[in-house]
Amino acid sequence: MNLAPFFRWLEHSGLGEFTRSLGVWSYGIINLVHILGIILLFGSILILDLRLLGVWRQVPLAQLSRPTTSMAQIGFVLAVSSGIPMLSVKTTDYIGNPFLLIKFPAIALALVNIWLVHRTTAWRAHRERDLLPAEQRRLAQGAALSLAFWLTAITSGRMIGYW
Amino acid sequence: MTWILRSGIAAAFLFAAGTAFAHHGWSGQEEAVTTLSGTVVQSVSLAGPHATMKVKVGNDVWNLTLAPPSRTASAGLKEGMIPVGATVTVRGNRNSDHSRYEMKCIYVKQGTNEYHVYPDRE
Repeated sequence: MNLAPFFRWLEHSGLGEFTRSLGVWSYGIINLVHILGIILLFGSILILDLRLLGVWRQVPLAQLSRPTTSMAQIGFVLAVSSGIPMLSVKTTDYIGNPFLLIKFPAIALALVNIWLVHRTTAWRAHRERDLLPAEQRRLAQGAALSLAFWLTAITSGRMIGYW
Repeated sequence: MTWILRSGIAAAFLFAAGTAFAHHGWSGQEEAVTTLSGTVVQSVSLAGPHATMKVKVGNDVWNLTLAPPSRTASAGLKEGMIPVGATVTVRGNRNSDHSRYEMKCIYVKQGTNEYHVYPDRE
């Protein structure tokens, strides 16, 4: 898959032009927003996933799931809305960078996993009743995959700049 | 169960942090300082994590990385100051991989103008 034409398009897009014109501190500030987004996203997901994996069983899942998923959503929006401008600044620098090709598929898999987990009877029922052992296992599987995908995305994302 | 999880998570983070530090900063560059003279093919850009410019030396186009934008600007080097086609002399640490024409610059000189973007590294 040749991403070079897309990278060139993004770099020369209005967004790229605009982001480059914002001044010498802009990249640092956009980067800050990206990190804050990742903190909200991964911090919340980590708590929810560990609970689904069986840590802190005394904390009711029904009460934990709402605040953690809301914070994760806010974090995701912050990370995407800062990440695309950052990428647009010098997109062509990333041609051939292998970590991008790990990061974005990992994010896609993480989102598919969320979609699949949210469709399960277990997730739909967890705010109404106690879950059966099989249902708890299904959610624990989703949580393990979630941690694996998000940690892969974050690690490869961090490595992009060091390639 | 809990302590296994805790140690597992801590180990994963340490691994990620370890690989990050191993690649950080100037470690991919040579210790020795290289001096290059060439023609600017892409003038200084102050966008991105570091200011950059491209200089043609012989038949090779070098990707030059300067200090972060704010620091490059406060060293006096701003966008549009050095036009494409100008001759510049730069000093810095080139990439340890000599097949990559990439250098982190400490100093840039054009005519009588000198820009010390990393004065503490000179």
